[in-house]
Amino acid sequence: MQTSAILRMSLESLWAQKLRTLLTILGMVIGVGSVVLLVSVGEGAKRYVMREFEGLGSNLIVVQPGKSDKKTHLGPPVGAAQRKMTVSDVSAIERTARNIEAVSGLVLGTVSARYEESLSNITVFGTNEQFPDILSIAVGQGGYFTREEDEYRRRVVVIGRNVAHELFGDLSPLGRRIKLNESEFRIVGVLAPMGDKLGLSFDELAFIPTQAALKLFNEDKLFGIRAKASSRVGMDDAVEEIREILRERRDGEEDFTILTQLSMMESLNTILSMLTYVLAAIATISLIVGGIGIMNITWVSVIERTQEIGIRRAVGARRRDILQQFLSEALGLSFLGGLLGVGGALAITYILYAVFPAFDMRSPWWILLPAFGMSLLVGVVFGVGPAWRASRIETLDALRYE
Amino acid sequence: MALLSLRTINKMFYRGDEEIHAVRDVNLEINESEFIAITGSSGSGKSTLLYMMGLLDVPTSGEYLIRGSATSTLSDAERARLRNQYMGFVFQSFHLLARATALKNVMMPLLYSASHGETKETRLQEEMALSVLQRVGLAERIHHIPNQLSGGQRQRVAIARAIVNNPRVIFADEPTGNLDSKSGGEIIELFESLHREGVTVVIVTHDPRIAERAPRRLVLEDGSIVGDINAN
Repeated sequence: MQTSAILRMSLESLWAQKLRTLLTILGMVIGVGSVVLLVSVGEGAKRYVMREFEGLGSNLIVVQPGKSDKKTHLGPPVGAAQRKMTVSDVSAIERTARNIEAVSGLVLGTVSARYEESLSNITVFGTNEQFPDILSIAVGQGGYFTREEDEYRRRVVVIGRNVAHELFGDLSPLGRRIKLNESEFRIVGVLAPMGDKLGLSFDELAFIPTQAALKLFNEDKLFGIRAKASSRVGMDDAVEEIREILRERRDGEEDFTILTQLSMMESLNTILSMLTYVLAAIATISLIVGGIGIMNITWVSVIERTQEIGIRRAVGARRRDILQQFLSEALGLSFLGGLLGVGGALAITYILYAVFPAFDMRSPWWILLPAFGMSLLVGVVFGVGPAWRASRIETLDALRYE
Repeated sequence: MALLSLRTINKMFYRGDEEIHAVRDVNLEINESEFIAITGSSGSGKSTLLYMMGLLDVPTSGEYLIRGSATSTLSDAERARLRNQYMGFVFQSFHLLARATALKNVMMPLLYSASHGETKETRLQEEMALSVLQRVGLAERIHHIPNQLSGGQRQRVAIARAIVNNPRVIFADEPTGNLDSKSGGEIIELFESLHREGVTVVIVTHDPRIAERAPRRLVLEDGSIVGDINAN
């Protein structure tokens, strides 16, 4: 029989049983739909995290004390440092490294900030004057503190937009003095609105010079070092330079870990891709369940239409014609299911994107074709058994079947 | 050469442990354009014999030849081709597709002609189906489904389906068995007119009216031919 005739016949047969067809493909729709949907969510999450990382500033190099397994790239175990990382390490890098555009130590702490009656708990970053360049921080009012202010241990502070608002309301904070714990700091700058970077709200932070921070927190070691490579191509050279400098200062021992924005992104990308695949694999199970639904209905259809099979055989259908007829019905079911599933999932992701523009989980185009193809494959795999059975029924038995 | 030749055909099958010898050493020649009625009590093997001649069943032993060619070695596709292009079938319970209109039912054999290398355009298929439906007097009812037709009309659709591909031989199994006598009479007349046109007709029947009017009559008993009466 001609392919077009088979197709028309299958579609007529599916159309004749609209409700059953609809219920049968529902499993398929949900299966394919959840594959597309979950992969879209996974990809969306990946894009989201990647964008956050990119927002950290390209060419970022992170140096943390402690040695970590090279494979994970996610940083050393906290507190595993052998040797302190100090301001003189920063100076050494600044003096020697040629592929570094900016470098700063980082000291972290939480303090209570007070201005007259206003009180707020904030996180404080102790850095040098190069820090804004490294993390692409923009100062809105006033300016960042200078190298001299750091070296002379001046107690100056640059505060985030929300900190300014909390402590001063509508007053201009510039030049005013606030108390961080018990020490008084003069405000020299207010950041431009920054938003979140990796879940950390820069608007809620305050920045003070490294030396002042070490004193404030009564520390003698750095939390870590942040640097910016001169260019993206010089990234590897910059990392090697830092490694050499620090090793030399540690008698050849490498008790620190250097991460780049790129390596962190690669690691995260690997992890998030894995997550996406796992989600897709789980969804595939529901696709298989949908396929079993199709197999079930094709079986029922074969049994119900046993006499029809006999009639068709009597008027000249070959076994192959019968096989093709039922297979194409199973395929028709999975085709419709796949189409509706993919289309539905696509529509849902676009609607969600319209409602939550921050989380872009619009379906990536590369999943659509495989998902659709997979639904057809499921149709063939689960349809071939019943269709084969249909083609093997003896004509006479089929004709006499009541 | 005979159209159909049966040489010591036997058919055995099992019902539970019981072996049933349905057809016993049947030798038979049927020529072109014959009109044959096969009679006998129920269980005498006449339907089994008919289905073997129609390539819907295979003999346990013996050889069945169509125009001198053995059929035992034919593939499924070749048997399907012969059924499609040389044979037409009419059954007691009509065996129409319940969901399809009279026209679609009649077109069905033409659909499968494409499987045997004879593709016909849909329009030609429709014309052919329409012309045989006219011939059986159902031109007005081509878009009715079987449920909307009387028994006699259904059997006429079945006959139209049997002749749409211009077969050489029509096999009918109790074609009037489910019909009232008036409709039955019309069906018999249809078979007679086909016979006059040169189509070979083989009818298994209990109906004495067919048996009386058939030029040749075979009588089966316990799977054996016990009478072969030629009225001419």
